[in-house]
Amino acid sequence: MDSAISILNSAFDRTLEPSNPEPSNPGTLEPLNPVSYSMKLNRHSATLIFAAVIFLLPLFIKNPYYLSILVFIGIYSITTMGLNLLMGYTGQISLGHGAFFGIGAYTSGILTVYYHVPISVAFIAALILSALVAYLIGVPSLRLKGHYLAMATLAFGEIVNIFLDAAVDLTGGPSGFGEIPRIQIGSLVLDSDLKYFYFVWIVFIIIFILTNNLINSRVGRALRSIHGSELASTAMGVNTAQLKVQVFILSALAASVSGSLYVHFVTFISPTTCNIMFSILLVMMVVVGGMANIWGCILGAALLTILPEYLRVFEDYDVIVYGFILLFIIMFLPGGLSQGFAMAYGTIRRGRSRAAKP
Amino acid sequence: MSDIILESLNIHKGFGGVVALDSLTFLVERNTITAIIGPNGAGKTTLLNVVSGMHAPDRGTIYLNRKTISGLKPYEITRCGLARTFQNAQIFGNMTVLENVMVGRHVRTRAGIISSALRLSRMRREEPVTCARARFYLDMVDLKEIADRPAASIPIGSQRLLEIARALASEPEILLLDEPAAGLNTQETRQLGALIRTIKEMGITVVIVEHDMELVMDISDEIIVLNYGKRIAEGKPVEIQTNQEVIDVYLGKEE
Repeated sequence: MDSAISILNSAFDRTLEPSNPEPSNPGTLEPLNPVSYSMKLNRHSATLIFAAVIFLLPLFIKNPYYLSILVFIGIYSITTMGLNLLMGYTGQISLGHGAFFGIGAYTSGILTVYYHVPISVAFIAALILSALVAYLIGVPSLRLKGHYLAMATLAFGEIVNIFLDAAVDLTGGPSGFGEIPRIQIGSLVLDSDLKYFYFVWIVFIIIFILTNNLINSRVGRALRSIHGSELASTAMGVNTAQLKVQVFILSALAASVSGSLYVHFVTFISPTTCNIMFSILLVMMVVVGGMANIWGCILGAALLTILPEYLRVFEDYDVIVYGFILLFIIMFLPGGLSQGFAMAYGTIRRGRSRAAKP
Repeated sequence: MSDIILESLNIHKGFGGVVALDSLTFLVERNTITAIIGPNGAGKTTLLNVVSGMHAPDRGTIYLNRKTISGLKPYEITRCGLARTFQNAQIFGNMTVLENVMVGRHVRTRAGIISSALRLSRMRREEPVTCARARFYLDMVDLKEIADRPAASIPIGSQRLLEIARALASEPEILLLDEPAAGLNTQETRQLGALIRTIKEMGITVVIVEHDMELVMDISDEIIVLNYGKRIAEGKPVEIQTNQEVIDVYLGKEE
C-alpha cells in the first residue's frame, strides 16, 4: 500500500505541476515526443497493425483463462484511455473514476436484471446517467486545482461506493447481485470468452480511433494547452472551464462503457469492484502506461492486469513485489512504459543507422 | 480625427488594502505602439491583466472598439480581437513549438469535440489552414527551423518570440506585450524591436509594458507613465524623457 501511495505521489507531481518551461529542466515530457510524432505520421497504419495483431491473438492463445485476461485488459484500457484524456492530456486528476465504472456497471446490471430492459437500452441509460453525474460533479469540482481536485473526486468516489453498499434494495448491498444476462447481438449470444474478446476489442478500437482523432485536433491541442499553462490557454481564447467539464464527461463515458462491458462479462457485480482502490488502480494504469500517450493506456492496463496473475508464485509476498515493480517503473521510466518503448525504439533506430554507415 | 481602439475609463483595482490601479483613464490610438512604463509595483502588469480579463476591475469600464469588454472572461476578450503575452513566458511546454502556435488559431477555428473525433468536413477543412497559418507566424519570428522541437526545450529568448507568434496567430487587432525583452540580450532586444515594428505595419495596435528604456524610446509612438496605479505622464518619447515628474520618479527627487 505504501508503494501505491508513493506512486500516486509521483503521479500527482507530474499531473498537477505540469511542464516547467525552464530549459534547465525540460521535465519528463521531452522523451515522449518522438513516439507521439512517429505515431502521428502513420497514425492510421499504427492503429491498423495494432488491430490486426489483437484480432489474430486468439489463433495463438486458446486457453480461456488467458483470453479472459485479455478481455479484462480491453475493458480496463477503455477506462484508462478516457482517464488519460483527463489526466495525461488535460492535466486534471481524478481519484473517483471507479465510481463512473460502477455507475455504468450497476445501471446496466440493475436495468437488465430487475427491470428486464434490453441490454442496449440499459447501456445507453448508463451512459446518460454517467454523463449527468459527471456534469454535476465536474462543474463545481473542476474549479479546484491539484490536490483539492484529487480530494473532491476521491470523496465523490467514496460517496458512490457508500451508496452502493447502503442501498441494499436497489444494489444488493455489500454482497452485490448476479445473474446478469450475456450480451446478445441478433441471434448471436456472446457466451464464450472468445466471442466476448472480439466484442470488447472492437469497441476498444472504435473508441481508440475516435480518441486518437480528438487528440490530434483543435480540441486536443486545447486540452494539452490547459495542461501546459491554463493561464495562457484562456488567454488564447480557450474556454477552459467548459472544456475541462466536457473532457471530464468524456472520460466518465469511457468508464461507464467499461463498466457495462464488465458487468455483462462477469455477470456479477459488487461494490468492491469499483471502490477507491480500483480508482487508484486506474490512475496507476495511466501513469505506468505513460501520460499523454494514447498507447500508454493499453500498456498500463495490460501490465497491471497481468502482473498480479504472474506474481502469484511469490505467494504471500506478491503485493510487496508488485509494489516494487511499480516503484521501479515510476523511478526509472517517469514517462511510463510508452516512454520505455520509445527509448528502445530510438536506440534500435540509432544502432541501425550507425550500422548502415561504413 | 483620431481613431481610438482601446479606452479605459476610471478603472480601479485593489488587492486587499493595496491599490494597484487608482481611477486610471487612458486611450490607445489604433495602429500605434503605446508603451506603459513605471517603477516596480506601479501597476503595469495589473493593468494588462485587467484589460485582458485576467482580473475584473473593481470599478470602471474598458472599451475595445467601443464595445465594453470589462467583466468579460479572458477567452471572450480574445475572441473580440485582443491577444497578449506574459511576463514569465507562459508557453505550453508539453507541446511542440508549432503546436503552440496552432493553439493560437483556436479563436479563428470552430471544430468541436464531435467534428474532431469523427473527422467531419469542418475539421478536415480547418486543419491544413491552421497548420499553414501557424507556420507563417513561426516564420515571421524566425522559429521555423525548430517548429517540431518540444517547446519546453527551447531557450528563453525563443520562448518569448514563440509567445508573440502564438498571440499573432489569433489574428488580433490589438496585442499586449508584457515585458517581452526581459531576459533577452542586446542583439535579441534589437531584433524584438524590429519585430514589433513589423507587427505595427501589419495594422496591429501594440501595447507594451517594458523596463528596457532604450527599446521603449526607440519604438513607441506614445508612452504612458504609471506610478502607484496613477497615470503621472503621457506623451511622445521626447516629452517623457524631459518630463521632470517622470525623472523624479525614476531617479528619486532631490530634497
